[in-house]
Amino acid sequence: MSTLVAEARKIPAFMRRDFLVLLSYRAAFTSDLFYIAVQAVMFGFVAELVDSSKLPEYGGVPTSYFDFVMIGVIVTTVSTVLLQRVAMAVRQEQMIGTLEALLVTPTSPTTVQAGSVAFDLLFIPIRMALLLVAVALTLGLGYEASGILPSLVLFVAYVPFVWGLGLLTAAAIVTFRRGTGALGVVMSVLGLASGAFFPLTLLPAWLQTLAEANPVAIAMEGTREALIGGVGWSAIGPEFVVLALLSAVALLGGVTAFRAALAREHRRGTLGLY
Amino acid sequence: MTLAAMRPLAPGPVIEVEGLHRTFGPVRALSGVDLEVAAGEVHGLLGPNGAGKTTLMRILSGLVDPSEGSAYVLDRRAGQSPELRARIGMVPPGDRTFYLRLSGLENLVFFGRLHGLRRRAARARALELLEAVGLDEAGERPISTYSHGMQKRLSFARALLAHPKLLLVDEATHDLDPVAAQQVRDLTALCAADGTAVLWATQRIEELHGFARHVTVLDRGTVAFAGTVAALVALGGAGRHVIELGPATAVTPAELGAALGTNGQLLPGPDAGHVLLVLAPGVALGTALTALVEAGAEIVSCRDERPPIERAFLAVTAERAA
Repeated sequence: MSTLVAEARKIPAFMRRDFLVLLSYRAAFTSDLFYIAVQAVMFGFVAELVDSSKLPEYGGVPTSYFDFVMIGVIVTTVSTVLLQRVAMAVRQEQMIGTLEALLVTPTSPTTVQAGSVAFDLLFIPIRMALLLVAVALTLGLGYEASGILPSLVLFVAYVPFVWGLGLLTAAAIVTFRRGTGALGVVMSVLGLASGAFFPLTLLPAWLQTLAEANPVAIAMEGTREALIGGVGWSAIGPEFVVLALLSAVALLGGVTAFRAALAREHRRGTLGLY
Repeated sequence: MTLAAMRPLAPGPVIEVEGLHRTFGPVRALSGVDLEVAAGEVHGLLGPNGAGKTTLMRILSGLVDPSEGSAYVLDRRAGQSPELRARIGMVPPGDRTFYLRLSGLENLVFFGRLHGLRRRAARARALELLEAVGLDEAGERPISTYSHGMQKRLSFARALLAHPKLLLVDEATHDLDPVAAQQVRDLTALCAADGTAVLWATQRIEELHGFARHVTVLDRGTVAFAGTVAALVALGGAGRHVIELGPATAVTPAELGAALGTNGQLLPGPDAGHVLLVLAPGVALGTALTALVEAGAEIVSCRDERPPIERAFLAVTAERAA
């Protein structure tokens, strides 16, 4: 237990490091926010063209395309950015030459990995949530305030899934020094079957079946139920349980694969090579 | 750390390596290496590029597993034990081991916290070490503005963060100016005086003189020599000295060579004003010089043709190559 506490105490050091590094890149600090703001404006115009009656109702509440798609934009962006950061965190340490310096400290590789993504896991969702608030205030979004907390809880259950998937990719990257291509394919399939930009009912039947087990789609639809429909805790309960289970499986698989990849590199003596 | 990995011995050498092998595919990086380093000792690890010095360091620090043989550090099997890593400081070769956009101070604080120090303690220790390596004024600057030598010194400071019992130093003074190199060696000597064992890998053999007592020479993955620095120097064989003759020299080099007799040989020097004196085994330099002066030579200066330790190193490795 004391080892766990000692390792957990190191996580804020990683977060501070990443915060300071981010501060040193002031342009990067704002460029992705700018990108999403432009997307928000763009989808505001697209929404003018879309017939809202063709969109599903959430909790019996009809929705506008803008309300519908902004949740898709935010969840997709958070998923993609987080997945990329988790997958590349250790690779980046390898590339800049700091990985071995980290591993000769009395810090477990799991802590190194978790620490390297802790800042992003916390900071990226917060930034996106703030952006959503800004869009709601400036361009107008008809979300239910009562749905904010349930949607956050859903999101907390969803993030470990992305983390686990990122770790699986990280394991492939550490092993093969490649893997971003596979990452792109996985994200494209999950994104297509997520209903981010159009209702899932438009998909072919087989993709709709896939979407039912797609954590991205489950998180997105659950968030829409909460924010657009204003449904209560009991209505999002099933989504929460499914997400939590899928997240647990993904995280366990990711951690196992990542540790195995590091152990293999250790045996081969190629951990520091890139 | 399992019980099986612990050795049931009383405190012994800090490093105890026996029959160590490591291969990387078809490349044999280490082959049957033995090594012992005691607490408080600065032990030189000498060898040309590709001799296996860095591989040995990486095994001892737990970054690489051995293929065969055993490597113990502080009575524990070298490996991935965090308890062991907490007691080892490592200065890796090369640059690029820091976060370039952070300051030297922030880098040290970060690594200090990974060693288990709380933030305030890590900062205090970092400031203390920055001053010790002469980087206190540059501490707040991003590493990207540091020279290679400054990064090396910072790397050395990082290795000392947790008061290590073993310091693994891989080519620390390789690109340092003489003052900075001496500063790092002085710090190392202080650590050793405090009981830290130091394994100092270098290609600059002259820096081991007066700094390390024991030395292990690695050549193509095997131990070419293990013993004291003095013993290595003794292997250098007969002394070879370059003698500068003054204008008052009244005889020819051939006549001086004849006057030298069984004390040695006189060979042509690098130019007309110099000759090379090769002493016969067991003959003191003073004896030979006296013979030359008595024969009419005016000796302006006399110096070693090559530092004895370098000569010894070349003798050891050349013998193995033959």
